[in-house]
Amino acid sequence: MTLLIGCLALLVLSVVLLGVLRDLLYAAASLAAASVLLSIVLFQFGANIAAAFELSVCAGLITVLFVSTVSLTMDSDQKTEAKLPAVFLLPMLALFAGLAYFLVHWLAGALPTPATQVQALTFQEAFWGQRTTDILGQISLVLVGVFGLLAILRAKSTGRNHE
Amino acid sequence: MSEPALALFFTGLLLFMTGVYLLLGVRNLLRIVLSVEVLAKGITLMLLAAGVYRGAMGLTQSLIVTFIIVETILAAVMLALVVICQRTNASLDIRLLSRLKG
Repeated sequence: MTLLIGCLALLVLSVVLLGVLRDLLYAAASLAAASVLLSIVLFQFGANIAAAFELSVCAGLITVLFVSTVSLTMDSDQKTEAKLPAVFLLPMLALFAGLAYFLVHWLAGALPTPATQVQALTFQEAFWGQRTTDILGQISLVLVGVFGLLAILRAKSTGRNHE
Repeated sequence: MSEPALALFFTGLLLFMTGVYLLLGVRNLLRIVLSVEVLAKGITLMLLAAGVYRGAMGLTQSLIVTFIIVETILAAVMLALVVICQRTNASLDIRLLSRLKG
């Protein structure tokens, strides 16, 4: 429990840093740290495959994509970004913590005790047996992503040809 | 609910609210992508909390994996839009996003 609380506290801290830091590269590093901490939390609860996905995809791939985009765009609008959200982040975080505490306290009393006989499926049984439709959805999403990227980049190159 | 599930749900809710606050408060497109990622972390934690509460980690893992794929596709498309917006407007201000033409 102590390790869990420590990881969750560090996770919140990395998100606060992400909101406060002006340099986007440091903010991307904070996001990667948050992903690593989340994967540790997932490992603690035995969600090994989800943790490996989180670690490789979110902490790895998304961070690489983000850093590449920061280098491509040269972060031109840093100086014009409003400072107000970062200044008020900590007071708002305290407010959100109070609100979340209230909601969790209410939820703890409102939710019924779960049934003792929960059908304990393995990941493979749940993923390939019960959630087959999700796989189709994921394939569709990957195709949407690929074709979306192609459409965006092709539209830009067509625009350049017109110029 | 057990204590770990409550702690996970509390943190997930906190991250979700912080993500919404950051999303509403910034104008830089790259920071908006970061805020969406914070939202996604909160949602992942809440999914995990639901799995711990029900004791069905297999199903929870499959849902989390699906959500991670959704998150990645979303980030990739958003970052491509950011690059195009920067090249078109020489700015990352979200208010200039409407200038993009198909």
